[in-house]
Amino acid sequence: METIINIIISGLISGSLYAAMALGLTIVYGVSRVFNFGHGVIAIIGAYITWFMLDVAGIGFVPSVLISMGLMFLFGVGMYQFAINPLLKKPNWEFSTVLFMLGAGILFENVILQIFGPRVKSIPLFVEGSLKLGFVQINWHELILIGIVVVSVILLSLFFKYTRMGQAMRAVAQSITGARVVGIDINKIFSYTFGLAFVVTGLSGILLSTKYFLNPHIGWEWMIKGFVITTFGGLGSTSGTIYAAIILGVVEALATLYFGAIWVWPIWFAMFMIVLLIRPQGIAGGRL
Amino acid sequence: MSKIKLNWRIIFLGLVLVFLLVYPLLGASSYMRHLFILFFIWAIVAANWNLLMGYAGITSLGNIGFLAIGGYVSGILAKTFDLSPWLTIPIGGLVTCILVTVFLGLPALRLSGIYIALLSLIFADSLPSILTQTRDITGGAMGLHAIPPFFPGMDKTGVYYVCLGFFLLILYIVYRIINSSTGLAFVALRDSENFAYCLGVNKFRERLKVFALASFLTGVAGGVYVHALGDISPSTLGIEPFLLAIAMIELGGVGTFAGPILGTAVIVFGNEFLRLAGTLRLALLGALICVIILFYPGGVMQLVNQAEARITRLVGKRKRSPAKG
Repeated sequence: METIINIIISGLISGSLYAAMALGLTIVYGVSRVFNFGHGVIAIIGAYITWFMLDVAGIGFVPSVLISMGLMFLFGVGMYQFAINPLLKKPNWEFSTVLFMLGAGILFENVILQIFGPRVKSIPLFVEGSLKLGFVQINWHELILIGIVVVSVILLSLFFKYTRMGQAMRAVAQSITGARVVGIDINKIFSYTFGLAFVVTGLSGILLSTKYFLNPHIGWEWMIKGFVITTFGGLGSTSGTIYAAIILGVVEALATLYFGAIWVWPIWFAMFMIVLLIRPQGIAGGRL
Repeated sequence: MSKIKLNWRIIFLGLVLVFLLVYPLLGASSYMRHLFILFFIWAIVAANWNLLMGYAGITSLGNIGFLAIGGYVSGILAKTFDLSPWLTIPIGGLVTCILVTVFLGLPALRLSGIYIALLSLIFADSLPSILTQTRDITGGAMGLHAIPPFFPGMDKTGVYYVCLGFFLLILYIVYRIINSSTGLAFVALRDSENFAYCLGVNKFRERLKVFALASFLTGVAGGVYVHALGDISPSTLGIEPFLLAIAMIELGGVGTFAGPILGTAVIVFGNEFLRLAGTLRLALLGALICVIILFYPGGVMQLVNQAEARITRLVGKRKRSPAKG
């Protein structure tokens, strides 16, 4: 019993990190219908920028995260303006963007490999030590991670609800034509959406690499987990993504306990297939 | 004008065919024969992948997984049970077809858009962990070695001709599919989806048919792969073969019959030069894919068609001008 509760708690922790991971995918897909197949490497880039600021430039944690987020925003806007925008004008944009982002992801991954080398990097824990409540034991660091995720999710939902830009993004997500009719500049909204999503993705990369580790290849694994989560939650649905991430995080923790870590991947695949067979629109998605 | 076009293409095709048939007799080095064998196998894979991506609109990303399933099944059967590869290759293809159609086709082909890409990518990605888990049968991370060749005691020239045979046969099948009623149904679906429905085209059934066939043929290619090269390991499922295959299709031109084959030729022989780039090779491949998609979405075939149009125009002018004068 005690192990199960501890396992569920660790599942909740990784689940909330996966939620942060998958949010970037959901935001981009929800607004622009582009599925980012270079997502994992984008997260890696955010984490590497932070690591570089911390370890090489030697500035504090908060400024390096802020700088990394700013750079990620510019990166996202640039990526959209340079590559995605011309691709969206072509008839088979859906698959071209997939292949383009895959190619770009592999390009960036190997550029990172060239610059920083294959060695595992780690971003230090925020706080050492752990909290003990009876038999339940949680690291302070993981509590802070959950706190950051929760705060960012609240900030994001406030942004989508109350700011003009967020409202415009939601309008575009509902209907591009309708948004255009009321005078929303689609191009601008798309590029800000990419910027925002890259910021969220970069942040999730930073958080994940503090809990696990950071090397140039780890991004693909995160990305595929993100894919399963976004589909499970319903493509384009933010709240569904969060529920799905937490459910899958707990399932992963339980599967690791009972079957061993090697079966985690087949189980993710099986979950994904079951969702597609039974409820392809995901747990919160309505549209398909 | 269409006569000129037909003629040079057929002449070119004939020349290539003759060259492929006599090349080993002209004293090709063992290394070149190896490269040609790779070219035959990858051309089969690329042609089938293109059948899914370019014609049927099935955005599969897991075809390397199909190759690996066919290869493993055929290799294990031939090695463990001493069956003839001529029996195990079709069995491998059939197993691939059934597995892939049940686990990928049925769930995902009903849905539109991105789902099949997601599902097939995750499918191909979960295979290596299954392979390493079932070490007793599949050899784990080390893979299968010393898989028997097509005939006992066969040399490289024999393997070359067997692969050439498979290459011609399967490409012919793919060509026939493209020009069959199924191929026409896809053209109709692409040009006007609703009109095609009205004419009685069942999208799901046509797509399932093509998916089953392409997975079968890719599984057969997997069988040919293991018996020609003698080993297979989970690294076949790695990122590099995947990238190479995507680059082959994109470089040649998606949605054309000849494009992926040309692309395969360029990539298989070009990849040997890329080895000079060392660890930057994958970065270059990724950049290549990005550049093609962004600037040359039609691939090499687009360039060929443009060049041909220009040449026919020039020839036509020259023919016309003396008549005028």
